[in-house]
Amino acid sequence: MRMRWNPIVKKDLQVTARSMRLSWGVFAYETVLTMAFLLALAVIQQESRSIYTTGNIYGYLIYLFPVLSIAQVCIVALIVPVITASSISGEKERQTFDIMLTTCMSPFSIVLGKVASAVLRILFFVMAGMPIMALAFVAGGLSWSYLFYFILTIILLSLLSGSIGILCSALCRRSITAVVLSYVFYFFIYILTFLPVILRALLTDGERMGESMLILLINPFIFFEEFFMQLMTGESLFGASGSNFTRGEVGFITYNLSQGKVWLFLSAACILTLSILFMLAAAWKVNPMHSSSGKKRKK
Amino acid sequence: MLYINDLIKNYGSFTAVNHLSLHIPEGDLFGFVGPNGAGKTTTIRIVCGLLRASGGTVRIGNTAAAVGSKEMKRLIGYVPDFFGVYDNLKVREYMDLYGSMYGMYSRDIAKLTDDLLELVNLSDKKEVYVDTLSRGMKQRLCVARALLHNPSLLILDEPSSGLDPRARVEMKELLKNLHSMGKTIVISSHILSELSEMCNSIGIMNQGRLLTAGRIEDVMKQIAGGNRMRIQIASGMETAQRILKEQAGVKIESVRENEILILSNCTDQAVNAFIGLMIQNQVILTGFYKEEGSLETLFMQLTGGGAQ
Repeated sequence: MRMRWNPIVKKDLQVTARSMRLSWGVFAYETVLTMAFLLALAVIQQESRSIYTTGNIYGYLIYLFPVLSIAQVCIVALIVPVITASSISGEKERQTFDIMLTTCMSPFSIVLGKVASAVLRILFFVMAGMPIMALAFVAGGLSWSYLFYFILTIILLSLLSGSIGILCSALCRRSITAVVLSYVFYFFIYILTFLPVILRALLTDGERMGESMLILLINPFIFFEEFFMQLMTGESLFGASGSNFTRGEVGFITYNLSQGKVWLFLSAACILTLSILFMLAAAWKVNPMHSSSGKKRKK
Repeated sequence: MLYINDLIKNYGSFTAVNHLSLHIPEGDLFGFVGPNGAGKTTTIRIVCGLLRASGGTVRIGNTAAAVGSKEMKRLIGYVPDFFGVYDNLKVREYMDLYGSMYGMYSRDIAKLTDDLLELVNLSDKKEVYVDTLSRGMKQRLCVARALLHNPSLLILDEPSSGLDPRARVEMKELLKNLHSMGKTIVISSHILSELSEMCNSIGIMNQGRLLTAGRIEDVMKQIAGGNRMRIQIASGMETAQRILKEQAGVKIESVRENEILILSNCTDQAVNAFIGLMIQNQVILTGFYKEEGSLETLFMQLTGGGAQ
């Protein structure tokens, strides 16, 4: 049996590869990454000359890795919604989406193809940035396996960003509206998930947090923070050995999840589940047989 | 081939398609006619699985598959009224993309692409970017794309809209060609003269209702008052008028100096009889012309206008 590409992935990659946007995109990505690298290096050099340090720069070069990784994650988080939020709405604007829906591709295959092509395009950028990342590894003395974990994290985060973008694209008729809506979703997931925790902490002076922190399992910011803590120090955000919390401060579930690497893996699973749910919602929305068709099509 | 039974589509309180029932036999070239907002495109979109019906059923051939299912989609080739394109995609790649979407393998698609591009007269454009083609070429390419998976039913939503006269003729020839190959084709259009030349059956829609449908010659018989006839008379005008008034199914439309214009839904035998009667009664006829009813006349009568 021959393996088949999702036709949408193939088409999207083909069209993107011929466009100048890809070349400019890689150029911009590399430029930002280089700037981040040089800036981090300058800061490290400055720090190593400080009277409070030994003057040995090599001990600080390990920090190049998180700086470059955070720079890459920020770029990915910003550009993936732009790529995916215009994917379905762009097809609608070009009036090619109807033809796509009359073919044998299921709405979920269409959505999956769009997200997969966005993730693959991001991987182009990440791979193009590898030589710069490699400098951080050589100078910082980190294991190459970290790079593998980092790429997995990037894939997970671009999957989440891509699924948010595709859902917004399915919800909106215009690409620009879809991009704006994606960032509203971002605000909810990245920022507003802190709200229950902050409110609970304010109301109880941080003494009885209950299970309010569980919502942070879907927060990519906390996931990434935990990932780096585990990677760089082997410790968790929630404590060096076991939980930082006492049994009374947090609920039973939170207390047990904040032990070891449990939070990290569970958070990854939650983000992956959320991404799949967003994609299913997008597929449901674009399926003409399911979605509400109360509005007349504009000719 | 296509069976539509009691189809309803509501947008809130507005009914776009109102209890539409229609049967299009296999091998027919069916023309869907109606003014803007009549419900033609809505009906087509429901059949193609692009819109959910509020009620009724659609069936193609003997399949019991639901609208929008893969089985149903394999039976339909759809050509929309507007051809959207992807930048940076060649004609060959465009065909490959849609062939893959029907689960076909690239090698099979490549073979079929050659044949289909020849059929639509685009063989020399295989390596050309789709966005550089003229509108007429794009429309023909869209027909080739719709035929790629060998559908039983080809549905075209206003295929001639926005085309120049030459492209329209080419499109018409292409559709006639496909019809002669035995394809069942449904076309919605505003250009009635074109439809009357091409189609062997039509359906006229207005305000969501199917006013009439059937073979074109049967539908034409429904023109109110029947066919128009022009009788030129040299002498015996009063006798001729008296005889015509006595005939059932004949209505005098106008009387001029030497000419009477009538609307008749009589059979040919009845027409022969009253002409003979006029001659027996010393009426001297100098001319007798039977005007064929046109699709335009019928359309105007049924809908009160709205098409070209």
